[in-house]
Amino acid sequence: MRKSLKIYLPFTLNELKRQMAYKGAFYLFILISMFGAFINYYLWMAIYSSSDKTTLGGMTQNEMIVYVFMVYVTSSVVSISIANFVSDDVVKGTVAMNLIRPIDYRLSLISRAAGNMIYHFLVPSVFIWIGVEIYKVKVFGLPAVSVWNILLYLSSCVMSFLIYVLFDFCFGMIAFFTTYIFGLMMIKNALLGFLTGQLIPISFFPEVLQRAFDFLPFSSMVYTPVMIYLGKYSGKMLGFMLIRQAVWVILLYVLGSLIWKKVTKRLVVLGG
Amino acid sequence: MGIIVMNKCKRYLRLYRVLVSQFLKTIMQSKVDFLMGLFGFFFSQIIGIAFLYLVFQQIPSLQGWTLDQLIFIYGFAQIPRGIDHLFTDNIWLVAWRLVVNGDFDRYMLRPMNIFFQVIAEKLQPDAMGELLVGVILVVRSLTRGVLIVDGPHVVLFFVSIFAGALIYTSIKLFFAGLAFWIKISGPFLQVAYQMSDFAKYPTEIYARGIRFLITWVIPFAFVAYLPASFFLKAGTSAMIIGIECGIAVLFWCIAYAVFERGTHVYESAGN
Repeated sequence: MRKSLKIYLPFTLNELKRQMAYKGAFYLFILISMFGAFINYYLWMAIYSSSDKTTLGGMTQNEMIVYVFMVYVTSSVVSISIANFVSDDVVKGTVAMNLIRPIDYRLSLISRAAGNMIYHFLVPSVFIWIGVEIYKVKVFGLPAVSVWNILLYLSSCVMSFLIYVLFDFCFGMIAFFTTYIFGLMMIKNALLGFLTGQLIPISFFPEVLQRAFDFLPFSSMVYTPVMIYLGKYSGKMLGFMLIRQAVWVILLYVLGSLIWKKVTKRLVVLGG
Repeated sequence: MGIIVMNKCKRYLRLYRVLVSQFLKTIMQSKVDFLMGLFGFFFSQIIGIAFLYLVFQQIPSLQGWTLDQLIFIYGFAQIPRGIDHLFTDNIWLVAWRLVVNGDFDRYMLRPMNIFFQVIAEKLQPDAMGELLVGVILVVRSLTRGVLIVDGPHVVLFFVSIFAGALIYTSIKLFFAGLAFWIKISGPFLQVAYQMSDFAKYPTEIYARGIRFLITWVIPFAFVAYLPASFFLKAGTSAMIIGIECGIAVLFWCIAYAVFERGTHVYESAGN
């Protein structure tokens, strides 16, 4: 354990340092990424004011607003893409070096993603999170989130991160077959934005689709931790959700290993 | 005088054809990439419609707008965006790379209009995804009968699309032009460009500050929502299209002046 920490921790720290180096542009990108959250905020305000019901999809207006911003906080921490790392390595041919080295390629990618995750947690997620909490208590008069719920939320987030990264590793394997992965990434991001509950809570989907989503890993990526944070699950349901996340981590891990074995067998790298 | 201008136009048209056909050859080499880029932009726009559809399962109308009307606004917004995206995508490179690494030199050396060279160098086929979404949704709106269809409206529809595309290009050119002073203006351009997302929905839903910003400062509301309402609601004054054109011309002049001025202060990189 200690040995592998010594090997893989530098990947994490390195990524953290790399991110810190380009601060200026990053603040502007934070601003851009918040546009979506604000558009959603105003849209939902208008939607609730156009409805004569007080709850839509099982949520009150105030809960929905907390949902919108907590989805932003959660998804920016959790959805760290590693497919572009893979694509870079394949295009440049450096993937060959990674195969020779006595390290696990996937683990090194996950360590790099972890660096990104920590960075995204520090800027800006944790501040927005605090902001949401203050706003919730002061303006909406809702009770502050309990320590127990924070702990559950954070552990759910860690699993979400693993599900996302392990899924993205499988997705990144496409880079071995085509060099222009940009378009596919856009499709992936669009679909994930929808299926993970980032754009709209899963509870708004028709019953049939909701059932179908139960068998896919996507709702475990963002929707589950945010619903846990909102205190929407309790007792058995809560346990089931956390176990389901754990199962997805294991399944995607195994799937990734299988694909990796297949792919590296047929890999051809030009040059020396 | 007239003949000189005409000859000049002819020359530029011929040059554009040559440059574009050169570029089309590179696209034909990678048809798969083309299709994936197209689907990428197609999907990322179409989920917005899915979102609206799900929301309207819960409410009959959004502040007086029906689902059909909102879908038209959303689709109409895609067309000017797609046109601009198709023809002037290379402006992004000015903002991110060409000025800072000195590659802009090559435009300075040729005896051609510099802006022309920048946009003629690249066609962005990915834009077809946005255009496809836009056209499909506008056609859908026609069949659902939510649009006002008569002579003036049809003519102004095309005028509005053209003016909208010019507004997009102007905003991009303005922020890219800043690169001549600050070297990399990509992040600023990105912020400005992304503001167009706000204009996909009726601007009444936003707070007053945001509404002012996207109507008069970075006028994306004039690309999408405001002209779209002219085609949807009988009795809306055609003035709105007039103002759109006015803004398009004004912003174009400012942006082009900044860009022009920038090329004079441009310093190459390197030794």
